[in-house]
Amino acid sequence: MDQALNIGTQLDWIVLVVYMIAMLLFGSYFAKYNKDTNDFFFGGRRFTWWIISMSIVATGISSHSFVKYSAMGFTYGFSSSMSYINDWFFVPFFLFGWLPIIVYSRIRSIPEYFEKRFSPSARFFVTILQLLYLVGYVGIGFLTMGKAILPLMPEYLTIWGFQIQITLMGLIWVTAVIVGIYITFGGQTAVIFTDLIQGAMLLFAGLFVFFLGVSYVGGWSSFWSLLPPAWKVPFAGFNSPAEFNSIGAFWEDAIAGSVGFLFMNMGLIMRFMSTKNVHEGRKAATINILFMLPISAIVVGGGGWVARAMFEQNATIFPSNMTADQVFVFVSHILAGPGMFGFIIASIAAALMSTISGLLNATAAIWVNDVDKPIRIWLKKAKKDDTSDEVRAMKVARISTVAFTILGILAVYAFNSYPTVYQAHAFFHATLTPPLMIAIFFGAFWKKFTPAGLLTTVIGGISLMLLGHRYPQELIGPIAHGTPFDLAHPYTYMAALYNLIVCTVVAVVVTLSQKQLQKLSHAIKRNKNNMLIMYSLIAAAVAIVLFDLLVVFAKLDLLSLDFTFFLTLLMSGFVALISTHFVKYDAEVQTLGLTIWSVHKAKEWFKGSKLNEREGEKAIVHFKVEDGEEDTISFSHKDMKTMEAEVGDLVYISDIRKWLGGLKSCHSVYGKPHNEDGIVHIKNLHLSKGLFVPGQFLEAEKEM
Amino acid sequence: MPTFFNSWLPFLYLYIGGGIFFIAGMIIIRKSKAIDMRLKRDRFWWKVMVFGFFYFAIFHAILITAALYL
Repeated sequence: MDQALNIGTQLDWIVLVVYMIAMLLFGSYFAKYNKDTNDFFFGGRRFTWWIISMSIVATGISSHSFVKYSAMGFTYGFSSSMSYINDWFFVPFFLFGWLPIIVYSRIRSIPEYFEKRFSPSARFFVTILQLLYLVGYVGIGFLTMGKAILPLMPEYLTIWGFQIQITLMGLIWVTAVIVGIYITFGGQTAVIFTDLIQGAMLLFAGLFVFFLGVSYVGGWSSFWSLLPPAWKVPFAGFNSPAEFNSIGAFWEDAIAGSVGFLFMNMGLIMRFMSTKNVHEGRKAATINILFMLPISAIVVGGGGWVARAMFEQNATIFPSNMTADQVFVFVSHILAGPGMFGFIIASIAAALMSTISGLLNATAAIWVNDVDKPIRIWLKKAKKDDTSDEVRAMKVARISTVAFTILGILAVYAFNSYPTVYQAHAFFHATLTPPLMIAIFFGAFWKKFTPAGLLTTVIGGISLMLLGHRYPQELIGPIAHGTPFDLAHPYTYMAALYNLIVCTVVAVVVTLSQKQLQKLSHAIKRNKNNMLIMYSLIAAAVAIVLFDLLVVFAKLDLLSLDFTFFLTLLMSGFVALISTHFVKYDAEVQTLGLTIWSVHKAKEWFKGSKLNEREGEKAIVHFKVEDGEEDTISFSHKDMKTMEAEVGDLVYISDIRKWLGGLKSCHSVYGKPHNEDGIVHIKNLHLSKGLFVPGQFLEAEKEM
Repeated sequence: MPTFFNSWLPFLYLYIGGGIFFIAGMIIIRKSKAIDMRLKRDRFWWKVMVFGFFYFAIFHAILITAALYL
């Protein structure tokens, strides 16, 4: 689908161009809300649930979603919605585990969590992986967007007499420049507010196509009766066909996908960290999963569903050579008139821009927090908790955003010219995600989980996963629930179950064997040849990993599978012992506030004093600005009583206009009360942070 | 006509299999005291989480019934 279909009109292209320019200006407007990196990466942690929920919708739906799920909807029916309505199972873990841990422990990135919970080397390792993954993912995003939109464009655009040829890379460069500019200036606030527009646009466009289609075939009852019963069931077959079945979707999407999405997606986590507090983050996540995801299923799959009904009614309406991937384009073109079709194309572009903008901001956040800052600390040019470096950090944030936008485009050249690079990225991601996912999950919910467990899960788990990739029939077949073996894509979905099993088993066995491993490590330490023993173990582990790589990638069958599998387990044992021996780890210190079992401690640290859990009410106040540098604001005794607040508690004040979504707001600390009821005394720093409008009421609430 | 294998079996697998993870999560947040049932706000969230599980299960059940019998 890389060739122009030439099906739009000039009005459609004008709509698209106007939309792009509007987004550029709108996004850049939010530059004034970025005073420091907390604003640039987390939007000042000030937003309300609905704005974040919409932002997550816009991020979750990419350009490719319309193409992919419409094709699935056309081919398989309502079961295309499966991956959008199976995300509830890990909600308790997220709402009361991972979300409060990342917010209260003031972690600014996933790699930072790995350092605090495990070791600095774990952070280093995860930083590299995240950067490679995110840059690659930005490239894939650009490429899929280009491929989705290019066929809708004319071959040439004529503007003021100049004829401009439209190419894939030209389209990508233009989009990249627009997204790059507004993210570089506007940061996370621009991401969130452009997402609001883009999310609304893509929801409207998808629902518009669906309802127009239903109307086109004669209304709901006609639409329903045209579709075959098997096609209307919301689940694919239990274990067939090989390429799309319910059992595969459960393990690959409902389990692995949900954990990956909620726990590992840095762009998504940064959205939740942009909410004004944990309670608001919970609301955003809940509304998103309960309501927005089912709506999104209609938005992205609806085009395919109505196309199927239209096809059943009149098969000649679509070109005979139409592929499933072209369904959304053709059905939109048939249903929407000139101008409206341009709006739908703009929505596809919006889907890409909202996904990419979040990824670029996340990539820059990792660069600033996990590369630039640690290097400066290492070079002794900055101190660990030094916040005076913010001007420089903002510069680095902006420069790195530009750099990663360019790197993302360079990745497109690589992916487009060398399909193997694209496949390698997908394989790399698919291979590394399960062990890291298990590591984060066990790290947050199992306080006994150790760095040895982490390292063995990554090295041993990946080796066992690669063996599953090489011998799918022997290793994945027995747990594939009868899914047919497809030589082209051997157990693509069921591999997720195998990967989860091997990584979990390795993690659990190593963690439960920690005492024995420590005893063995001490015994080796007492031996006069201890270093020789350890180096021999390292050499043996490296040799077995290399042997596994030869078996998997060079397809060498040097030994029987049983023996190869046994060797890999042995290597996992060596890795567990080596990491127990060398990695310094204090279980007491490194789990405190970083697992669900001590999340209260993290909450106390976040506040800096004893918690005040009394539930008060909000206070509506006017503000007065007073002199001073302290980050405290003062209410009257009566207003303090209304909020059940005490001096030293944390407070959040915002403009009373709900539709601003918390844009004009800030966090502070309660200072000494006064006697002017209905008035809050703020300082210039609060005015500059919150950009409050004189004369407007403010709403104040105690946070904790 | 869709068979049991294409309709109710995937439904049962999803909600029994997923339900195990869900219940494990609910137990862990209670045992770790991450959710404090003395607080009105946390009691609200507990109800929302239970509601969400049945909301999706009932939603899927209605869709299957509609596909099979309407």
